[in-house]
Amino acid sequence: MVFEPNTATSLAFGFVSWPMAGVAAGLISIPIIIHILNRRRFKTVTWAAMEFLMRAMRKNRRRLEFEQWILLATRCLVVFLLGLALARPMGCERTSLARIAGRTGLNVIVLDNSYSMAYQADRPGAKTHLDQAKKIVDQLIEQMSPGGESVVLITAGAPINATGPNKSISKIGYDLAQARDAVKSVRQTYGGTDLVGALRLALQTGREETREQNKTLHILTDSTRGAWDPQMAALKQLGPELARMFKVVHHDLTRDHKKQWNDAVLDVSAVGGLVRVKFDSDFRADVRSFGSEQSAVVQWKVDDKPLGASFSTPLGPTAHELMTKERPQFATGGPHVISVDVRVAGDHLPGDNVRNHVEDVAADLKVLLVEGKRGAGVNQSSGVSLAAALTPAHEGPLKSLSSFVAEPISDLELGNRVLHEYSAVVLADVAQLTGPEADRLKQFVEQGGTLLVFMGDGVNKDNYNSLLLPRKLMPGPLVKLMTTGTDQKPYRLNFKPNAIQSDYLESFRGMENSGLDLVGVLNYWQLELAQGSGVTPIIKYVPNGIEPGKQDPGAPGDPAITVHGLGQGHVVWISTSANGDWTDFPAHDAYAPLMQELLAHSVKSGTHWMNLEVGQPLIIPSNVRMTAAPVLLDPDKKALALESKLDERSERVGGSTIYTSAPLNVPGVYSLALGETTIPIAVNIPPGEADLRTLNDEAIREALGRIEMDMEGEQPPTDLQVAEAGRDWGWHLTLIVLGLLCVEAFMAMRFGHWKVAAPAQV
Amino acid sequence: MTETATDYRKYLEPRTLARIASLDLRARLVVEGLMTGMHRSPYQGISVEFAQHRQYVAGDDIRHVDWKVFGKTDKIYLKQYQEETNLHLICVVDASESMGFSSITADKATWSKYDHATAIAASLSYMAIQQQDSVGLAVFDSDLKHYIKPSNSPTQWKVITQDLTTVPRLKKTNTGRVLDQLAEKLTHRSVIVILSDFFDELEGIKKGLRHLRYKKHEIMAFQIMDPAEIEFPFEEATLFQGLEGMGELLTEPRALREGYLRQLEAFTEEIRKTCRGMHIDFVRMNSGEPLDVTLSGFLAARSATMK
Repeated sequence: MVFEPNTATSLAFGFVSWPMAGVAAGLISIPIIIHILNRRRFKTVTWAAMEFLMRAMRKNRRRLEFEQWILLATRCLVVFLLGLALARPMGCERTSLARIAGRTGLNVIVLDNSYSMAYQADRPGAKTHLDQAKKIVDQLIEQMSPGGESVVLITAGAPINATGPNKSISKIGYDLAQARDAVKSVRQTYGGTDLVGALRLALQTGREETREQNKTLHILTDSTRGAWDPQMAALKQLGPELARMFKVVHHDLTRDHKKQWNDAVLDVSAVGGLVRVKFDSDFRADVRSFGSEQSAVVQWKVDDKPLGASFSTPLGPTAHELMTKERPQFATGGPHVISVDVRVAGDHLPGDNVRNHVEDVAADLKVLLVEGKRGAGVNQSSGVSLAAALTPAHEGPLKSLSSFVAEPISDLELGNRVLHEYSAVVLADVAQLTGPEADRLKQFVEQGGTLLVFMGDGVNKDNYNSLLLPRKLMPGPLVKLMTTGTDQKPYRLNFKPNAIQSDYLESFRGMENSGLDLVGVLNYWQLELAQGSGVTPIIKYVPNGIEPGKQDPGAPGDPAITVHGLGQGHVVWISTSANGDWTDFPAHDAYAPLMQELLAHSVKSGTHWMNLEVGQPLIIPSNVRMTAAPVLLDPDKKALALESKLDERSERVGGSTIYTSAPLNVPGVYSLALGETTIPIAVNIPPGEADLRTLNDEAIREALGRIEMDMEGEQPPTDLQVAEAGRDWGWHLTLIVLGLLCVEAFMAMRFGHWKVAAPAQV
Repeated sequence: MTETATDYRKYLEPRTLARIASLDLRARLVVEGLMTGMHRSPYQGISVEFAQHRQYVAGDDIRHVDWKVFGKTDKIYLKQYQEETNLHLICVVDASESMGFSSITADKATWSKYDHATAIAASLSYMAIQQQDSVGLAVFDSDLKHYIKPSNSPTQWKVITQDLTTVPRLKKTNTGRVLDQLAEKLTHRSVIVILSDFFDELEGIKKGLRHLRYKKHEIMAFQIMDPAEIEFPFEEATLFQGLEGMGELLTEPRALREGYLRQLEAFTEEIRKTCRGMHIDFVRMNSGEPLDVTLSGFLAARSATMK
């Protein structure tokens, strides 16, 4: 059984091994039993000189009895103390006598070295929280018993590999000097906190260590919300297991620094999804001040050049969205770096005051238009109507101001096209698909592509429900074809310009004359949306019986357009046709903008791999075009190694190559040379590290499932505190037992109970 | 030393004697063993009757020079005496139950204190009869069981050995009373050899010895002890069952050894002191040791006393 800190803290005395304590109590009876048995085992001798024996007995009876008793008592004490030593009592939790006792056991130290620990508290001899934590650990190690206590050091900086070899853990063992060196060599990281990962490693270490029963877990964190809140559920589950295995001690590095504050830029992103050349773009930044209200100076930059003048703005702990004051327009496509720099005096954690974002500005997004029903003109041909909507003609040097390049093909050609060369694939009135085609489409979407599915006369309900629906390429099963009679009014879209409910329609907000509310739909496919399917209706039809102008976009109704995610891409489903067969929509002015918005919001710019957090590796997707082997340079222009492996999921024959780097540990803008082009890679400090608001002891205990744990502050333990900790008295009892054995042997010889002569011949 | 001498001397070992059933054979072997290698009779000088003169040779004791002859003849002659023939030797043998104790074994035979006592008594009787001294025997336990009047008849020794062999040993000792009885029986001044462990009332023993001394008898007291009684070598818990109705005692012998030996030594010392006060020769004999050590030592001491 393991020493239970839950109960031992309330006792002055405990045992590492309670069963052995029971054994100790039982052992005391052994000498008594032997004594009784010996009284039954004796030799019989007929004796002549009995008179002298009797006289000697009469004269020495008291002395003999005393000697017998004292020997019996000593022997009882020896076996009792021996059992007690094996039980390894933890004694004198609150007495200074514990100082003389040496400890044995395993000490697992979880040291948070995430970026928030770089907070400059400016303590004497310890600039940052991490410096102070190292001092505490150093003091803890100094007060351990050499040869009796072993140390395992785990750093809690993310990421922690839970399965394979892990650099976060150092199983040092009993060499305390090496342990102190290991603590000194712990480096400050710019990464986040993986407290759960670190504690799981600690638990695994505790399970693997079966020899030591006395196990202590020291957790040293800054108690920030950023470290504890995001992993609360997992920690709550982990806490009781830790308490069963360890005596848990939390060292709060911010106990005396609860008023610490920090300004940080948490996010930079483009407004409206896709950023395209020839269009003005908006960017937004989430800038906050954690801990106290601050006034900060903000500067936007594009490709390291100021975007407009800097400006002052008040910051608080809640989301504060800053928009670009000047809307940048990119002349060329490709990746550009958008930066936000927040300057504030006295920030003790300045590393997160700058955030970079790489935006892949779209120049030519290729869209494959797969037409099921061929025809001529906008009204008959879906391909023509969609191509006209996506690339409208422009009078001037540029043929079109659109960033899309549409390529209409027949559905018969779908199987011959390499899909990953397109940003989006549109199925318009395609009657039916084959299984392999459906599989390729699924893979295309999962890898970040966008699929738009239009209905039409030729759509085979059963084919769609059996092939596309199981692959999640449909939002739900097609149920019923809704049609209007010749005397009936067409179905209308439930649109109100002042009650926009989808980002996809954001550009129509407040546009009273967009015409979306006047679109008439004669036929559409009704589908069944399951609860919790993850499908979001972009716009619905006006329910029957509602007068025009009185519609409520929040009211129930059949979905007209939906969107749902699949892997890294999106599927947009339009319930009616793309041409004029079922609707008059292509004839409306709103048709082209809506089609472009649908694609602009669903097509991913593909910049996710260019925007990383510290600790993440760079993974260059296989579809990135490169004319030479890639070379990655860190912010200091130092080359970093890239490993290549085969991407078997690629559509290319024989697969293609994916390049990966080791986790990137320094924030800043990296440079990835791909031959003819160079791509910037933005690596930022995880936003969770910015929130320096702290939790108190009770909240920490709550986070770990209300387990019994010791709460220590940010000061190194003093000698007295160490003395008050429970001590293992096992070795000392063993020494006492050895001493008593010597005394017993001496007494036995002195009292004549020890064999000193040859056995009698009698 | 010759091989024959060696053969005889082995019969002085108690463990050898224990294998010999016949007491008279034992006694003869003891005496032969004792005599082997001696230049002259151990009894020489004890007797007072003149035998002859012999011319002095270098190395002779000048105390035996006949100065009268030297004055008359101017030659140095030594006086030689015949051994005494009217000596009465009475062997008093304790045959109580305690004398039956034995810790000495040889093959399946044992060698008790009583065996040791009878071997000595028989040996002394044999030697005495060989030189025409009268030998008597008294065997006792709580009472004087057997008494054989002193005689120098050649058959006397057979009678004595026969009697020593058949006496049972089952009773308590009452040494004082027995010695009183013996003092009353003896009319002739005698040399009395008492062979006993003296595990008895000390006052009674004193009284009996004083009675004998009062009758002008020469007394030699042999206290015969078993090696186990002298060393007390027991280790394990032992139940001691006392002979002569002394009860039982279960004890750790190692713890009691020192006290026991102290008590035994005190008792022996008290007897020794008593004997010394009465001019009685006292010898403690270890029944585990060869008999010649005891006998020759005693005879030498006796010879010195006679001179």
